[in-house]
Amino acid sequence: MAFTKESVEEIASLHGEPDWLRTRRREAWEVYERIGLPDRSEEEWRRVDFKGLDLETFAAFEPANGAAPGLPIEGAAGVLQQRGSQPGQVELEEELRRKGVIFMPLSQAAKEHPELVRDRLFSEVKADRDKFAAAHAALFSGGTLLYVPDNVEIERPILGQYWSSGGGAAILPHTLIVAGCNARFNYLDEFLSPSLDEPAFTSGSAEIFVGEGAAVGYVSLQKWGRHAYQFANQRAHIAKDGSARIFNVTLGGRFAKVRCEANLQGHGASAELKGVYFASGDQFFDFHTLQDHQTGDTTSDLLFKGALEDTARVVYAGLIRIEKGAAHSDAYQANRNLVLSDHAKATSIPMLEIDNNDVRCTHGATVGPVDPMSLWYLESRGIPTATATRMIVQGFFGEVVDRIPFEQARHLVEEELEARLG
Amino acid sequence: MADLEIKDLRVSVEDREILKGISLGISKGEVHAVMGPNGSGKSTLSNTLMGHPGYKVEGGEVLFKGKDILQLTPDARSRLGIFLALQYPVVVPGITMNNFLRTALNAHRGYDGKDKSKAVSPKEFRSLVEPHLETLKIEKSFLSRYINEGFSGGEKKRVEILQMAVLKPELAILDETDSGLDIDSIKYVSAAINQLRGPDLGVLIITHYTRILEFIKPDFVHVLVNGSFVLSGGPEVADLLEAKGYSEWVDEPAPAEEVSA
Repeated sequence: MAFTKESVEEIASLHGEPDWLRTRRREAWEVYERIGLPDRSEEEWRRVDFKGLDLETFAAFEPANGAAPGLPIEGAAGVLQQRGSQPGQVELEEELRRKGVIFMPLSQAAKEHPELVRDRLFSEVKADRDKFAAAHAALFSGGTLLYVPDNVEIERPILGQYWSSGGGAAILPHTLIVAGCNARFNYLDEFLSPSLDEPAFTSGSAEIFVGEGAAVGYVSLQKWGRHAYQFANQRAHIAKDGSARIFNVTLGGRFAKVRCEANLQGHGASAELKGVYFASGDQFFDFHTLQDHQTGDTTSDLLFKGALEDTARVVYAGLIRIEKGAAHSDAYQANRNLVLSDHAKATSIPMLEIDNNDVRCTHGATVGPVDPMSLWYLESRGIPTATATRMIVQGFFGEVVDRIPFEQARHLVEEELEARLG
Repeated sequence: MADLEIKDLRVSVEDREILKGISLGISKGEVHAVMGPNGSGKSTLSNTLMGHPGYKVEGGEVLFKGKDILQLTPDARSRLGIFLALQYPVVVPGITMNNFLRTALNAHRGYDGKDKSKAVSPKEFRSLVEPHLETLKIEKSFLSRYINEGFSGGEKKRVEILQMAVLKPELAILDETDSGLDIDSIKYVSAAINQLRGPDLGVLIITHYTRILEFIKPDFVHVLVNGSFVLSGGPEVADLLEAKGYSEWVDEPAPAEEVSA
């Protein structure tokens, strides 16, 4: 089994996609064929270990199968559930439909709402960024469009859930979110599968367009099984006075390479990029973040925090870029790693690229074990070591989990972390 | 035999011997003060008794209620009834004082997350904590804050005594609890400690200065210099130090006054 040109055509035909999308898939396929695996002498890929990943072994498509898991949160205003690579089933509150909210699989949206999809799809997450992004753009299947018109506010969150029950295939959903001017809402993407023997090739990419004055909260919760190799690009494009709160939770997979980026395009735009991860066993996670201040009076606030156990490895590299015209920008970036085992290893690389002097930029990185003084202090009050350690790790996560944009997701992530702490 | 028996205790830090064989007995109902100049080994004594990981016991033994506590982990020592009010309380982000106090109290009652009947109820917890907030002049809002985060020096010390009051130890070690305290804080802290004082509590006050002893009257005073006790006696030893300082043993000015923070 391998990816082929035929599989690209087949996926396009299967869901009756319009010609422009088929053409775009073909273009991405050409890129995929033309470029090789990333050069490991390049800085971004230097620490990335592809061990065990062979792109030739994956089927391009996974039929819907297996028992569907329950929903992670209750009371969502809209739910899209995707099984395998099959376009998902959607439920959306009637009132939101009446207000013009569009929520449907991407293939359907490409046909029915090309004006929303055509110019935006893969404009922020570009197909030629690397071979994996090209595979994603050529072979994505299912996926989601959420469009919220101008001035529409949605109280309860919208949920996308992507489930895979088989190994050996590519599961490549893509989330496209378009927020009109002054729209306000929260969105949760959940990716999950059982752990299997056969590797899987997965993504979980998202493009989020935040209109003028809009406020969007986006949480991505990655719980792929331990057989999965994940390559995801999550990027927000933020217009004047818009605000994006992106929260990345990475827990699953054998391997995860995640880019999380904010493209601050309009004056007064703001972005919060927050992340939490827990790596155990032989998991490898690589995070690359970008706070791209294209224009002035923009704000970005980034905090990625994670814990590592066993022989897990994590790489974090974050760039704050302040363009020439971006005066009065304010950027903050911090990465904190709690290393719970002598054999786990975290590498943190903060970077700044500043072309304007009238800005405020702060960054910092820490890698270290549980503070022995904190541990002793808790123990000196009668709290056993295991409980004290657990409390300190929970406390460590608490600072960032408190920043999850909406309560249901906050509870969910707290529970997931609790479960990981055992 | 006293409830706490320190016998010929020798302790080193980074291969340097700090305590050079000290012996001391404290029984419940007694208040002992260990006084000494800077670097005499006072904090080494208190931290060693609580199992601080930075100190190495080279010899001797410490028995509490007949048990050799040097063989016990810090949490087991706490549950046995020993409490140390730290000189420099630790800031622990992300854990609220509420959670900390409740978990500590539950650990003392043997609740390990399983048998819910052993866990302290919210109502009982309030009844155990709130009266002491009043005595120590601690705002209730402190309970929802992270452990010692953003607390002033005086607030940290008062919160140490709050923990002591809630956990009700049989032996309380107060390590320089008076240092860095303004006079009001010393009064609140002393009032709380005097309330707890009684036949079921032994107290070991570690201090450089005599000031706190004006508020908490000791039964015994021991002078620690260069890792050994050089003088032991009743409260009159504190008066002697008040007048003459440690000049008999070291070249240091009188310890009676301190600039308060």
